[in-house]
Amino acid sequence: MRQGLARYIIRRGLQSLFLVWIATLIGFTIYQLAPGGPLQFLDDDPKRTAADFNRLSALYGLDRPILVQYLVWLTGEDWLVLLPGGTAWQSGQCRNNAERCGRGILRFDFGRSFYFKGSNVIDLIVERIPATFILGFSSLVISVAVGIPSGIYAALNRGRLPDHIIRVTTVLVNTVPEWWIGLLLLIILGGYLRIVPLGGMETIGDGSLPDRLHHLALPAVVSAISGWISISRIMRFEMLEVLNQDYVRTARAKGLPEHLVILRHVLRNAILPFVTGLSGIFLLFLSGSILFELVFSWPGMGRLAVIAINSRDYPVMMGLFVISSFLGIMGVLMVDILYSFVDPRVKYEL
Amino acid sequence: MKRGKNPLYWLMIIVAFTLGTTQCAPPATPSPEAQITPPATATTAPSPTEIVAPATGEVPTVAATLEVSQQVITQVVEESEAAKAREPKKGITVVSDEEVTSPRTKRGGEYKDVATSDAVSLHPYLTTDTASSSYQGMVYTGGLLRLDENTLQYIPNMAESYSISEDGLTFTFRLRKGMLWSDGQPITARDFEWTYQQVTNPANEFPYLSQLEFIKSYKALDDYTLEIKIEKVYCPSLGQMSGLITPLPKHVWEKLPWNDPEKNPEMNKPSVVSGPYKLVEWKRDQYAIFEANENYWYHGAPNISRYVIEIVPDQDVAYQKMKTGETDTGPITPDKLKEARQLPNITVYEWWPAAALWSYVGLNMRPGFPTHDLHVRRGLAYAIDKDLLTEQVMQGQAKRLCSVYPETSWVYNPDVPCYDYNPEKAIEEFKQAGYSFQDGKMLDQNGKQLRLKLVFGPNTSKTRELIAVTLQDYWRRIGVEANIQAMEWSTFLEALHSKEPDWDVYIGAWQATIEPHIMYTIWAEENIPELNSVAYINKEVEKLFEEAGANCDFEFRKQKYQQIQKIIAEDAPYIFLFYNKSWSGQNKRIKGIIPTALGIGWNMEDWYIEEAPTP
Repeated sequence: MRQGLARYIIRRGLQSLFLVWIATLIGFTIYQLAPGGPLQFLDDDPKRTAADFNRLSALYGLDRPILVQYLVWLTGEDWLVLLPGGTAWQSGQCRNNAERCGRGILRFDFGRSFYFKGSNVIDLIVERIPATFILGFSSLVISVAVGIPSGIYAALNRGRLPDHIIRVTTVLVNTVPEWWIGLLLLIILGGYLRIVPLGGMETIGDGSLPDRLHHLALPAVVSAISGWISISRIMRFEMLEVLNQDYVRTARAKGLPEHLVILRHVLRNAILPFVTGLSGIFLLFLSGSILFELVFSWPGMGRLAVIAINSRDYPVMMGLFVISSFLGIMGVLMVDILYSFVDPRVKYEL
Repeated sequence: MKRGKNPLYWLMIIVAFTLGTTQCAPPATPSPEAQITPPATATTAPSPTEIVAPATGEVPTVAATLEVSQQVITQVVEESEAAKAREPKKGITVVSDEEVTSPRTKRGGEYKDVATSDAVSLHPYLTTDTASSSYQGMVYTGGLLRLDENTLQYIPNMAESYSISEDGLTFTFRLRKGMLWSDGQPITARDFEWTYQQVTNPANEFPYLSQLEFIKSYKALDDYTLEIKIEKVYCPSLGQMSGLITPLPKHVWEKLPWNDPEKNPEMNKPSVVSGPYKLVEWKRDQYAIFEANENYWYHGAPNISRYVIEIVPDQDVAYQKMKTGETDTGPITPDKLKEARQLPNITVYEWWPAAALWSYVGLNMRPGFPTHDLHVRRGLAYAIDKDLLTEQVMQGQAKRLCSVYPETSWVYNPDVPCYDYNPEKAIEEFKQAGYSFQDGKMLDQNGKQLRLKLVFGPNTSKTRELIAVTLQDYWRRIGVEANIQAMEWSTFLEALHSKEPDWDVYIGAWQATIEPHIMYTIWAEENIPELNSVAYINKEVEKLFEEAGANCDFEFRKQKYQQIQKIIAEDAPYIFLFYNKSWSGQNKRIKGIIPTALGIGWNMEDWYIEEAPTP
């Protein structure tokens, strides 16, 4: 079985890479189709002429066909010197200085940002990962801590008042966009009552743990909302499913106290998928925080994405795109693999 | 349990929830405008403007950009003294008797600034956004000359004197001695020369390179003498050559690549500076901390010892911070101005800026469009009550504008056709263009109602939206239908700069420049469709601009620019609307603020903090 697993991992790994590649192709095309470009902002100033625009465009290689730009992004431009006439496909910066040639994503070079004037994309992203990680992790903890008990409680009281209350609440909360709830809470709690800070990760010059927790509280709670709603629903559904199983009826029939039935037989089976899926769910949480980061001035990847999209910074957009699709696909893969450890009945076949 | 219930199933659901509810929504964020760097002018920017850079000739100093928000009741500058400005004469020498060494006396404290967009880079020759130039102005400050805050003339700054040769082609600047970099090394003409050489290297990405093309040579004759030669007489040259270049420390930068942030740490963490402040720490998207530079060449360290800029993505949040006293300033949108003036801890400073932002309606002049016809353009202009629009949209924070230059400019010509609201005249103009007005509809020769496509952007700008619906309403009264299309910023720019545009009318704004000649570019045929989006072609106007640029006599130039204003107003390529007042809210503990036509930031080093006596 172990050997089967190894082959399975390899196969799924390759499939995932293929998926990521297809995703980049689609992503690149979509970004390029969007109106404007990284230099668009430059050309609306009486102090800049078309000559300035064209010069910069050639320096950055933005005057090349889109397909060439994609290939360069994928494979780099340093090797183009080997092709006859290949230097014509290099960007002006690369021709001027070989050190500025991109090496391509295949060699783990994410390229350089237009908007951030030549900064390495990977540095810009790595710089912001901790913030996103902290927010994602906290909201995951909160959504599990709230979602699982409320799901169990609803299931055990199925069709009765608590169940209805939980269901109605979740539906209601779910119909309102969370960023709007976030903004509202920010204005009320931060602006008027002043019990939470108006965004940011820490007070400038403070940065102690209590200060950071103080800043984290509201964003984490608000971004946990959608998580606990779905977790609670799935938990309820799963509990009900298990409660109808024969072995539960058997356990009850042999006179086991109800709380033991729930704890030993129902919960253990119902909660299994969450335990295994948690790491994967977490990765997905990471890639879904754009709006909260905006509302709460949270300096993470989501805000970077918004800046990159607004300024048509293709390398940064693509970098974030690759990383978030990678995280997402890895999340799914990890769930599958972990599942086999927990549930021996699952076999992986080629 | 069944295999069919594998975790993928839940994952899918969770993905659907988390991604579905979050990632798809970015366009709906409360304030995407705050994230768009380009349109954000440093001043309150009631609406984003296409033009962001500070007026030509001024180095992006803190002065030009600090006005992250707004200003003073004590002294409302109603009119600039720009009209008194004189052009440099040939064969003269100007010597400054200004003493720049006496230290400031009211030192200490921390100023807390707030901004809605962070700087991109601290490299002064790569960026175009105002956030970056305000950061850069903290650390690299000073050109050879600067604008006098009252007369708006160029006066010696880092140069203590300059002279212009008889033929007007050679400029000699003598630098002040004793100016130091923050590491104690002298600031010399070599630093200027080296910086100029780097900036003008075409491989070095300077976005405004075309502004320096008139310079033939730029040489350091010795450590304290610079000689700059130009090809032919060009009147804006003095301001351009002395304002666009602020020196970088050659002894530090020389060994480093000019524009590679991976190998040149000075680009984003400058260690040796010329400005009033040194960078202590910069955390992107969070904050930047600056501290006083004891070696600052202009009267030593600034009064305020620490300067902190906090980044928040939303204007409302930034305003709240000022209100609660968390920061000393904050952006005040026009609708909050009334409230802000009443805040007990805030003084609102107000002024009419020399480089005012002015709004207009662009009319597509290409053949085939209804607005190609002069009478249609005039008719559309007459149909709008621009006074009322100014009053309603800008709530008294703007003045009418009738042609290319606002009243604050020294070349302003009051004697131009202004198309005051007159619906009868509007209909009359349309009749001359072959239209007929029947049953409340403006019909063309084929009996079809005139419909115009009106575009504006960014779609988050309330000001422009308000202008758009007002135009629509007024035009409907003369039977012209306008279909409004609001666009995201980049999309709008692309539509505007398209070679074959499909719009008839758009709403735009320009930032006036103190040097009137710079506005030539937006009327030149060669700049269609980028800067001259309406495709205005008038060779007489171009000739007048050329003449005004080549003869530096004050009266001569003024007369030419006045003629230009008249011709353009008659041709009506734009419907000129209004130009904006500027304002800035500052905590009352900040003293020493004096608003002029340059704003309030020009003497920022002299501001000081007076703590209120604790009750």
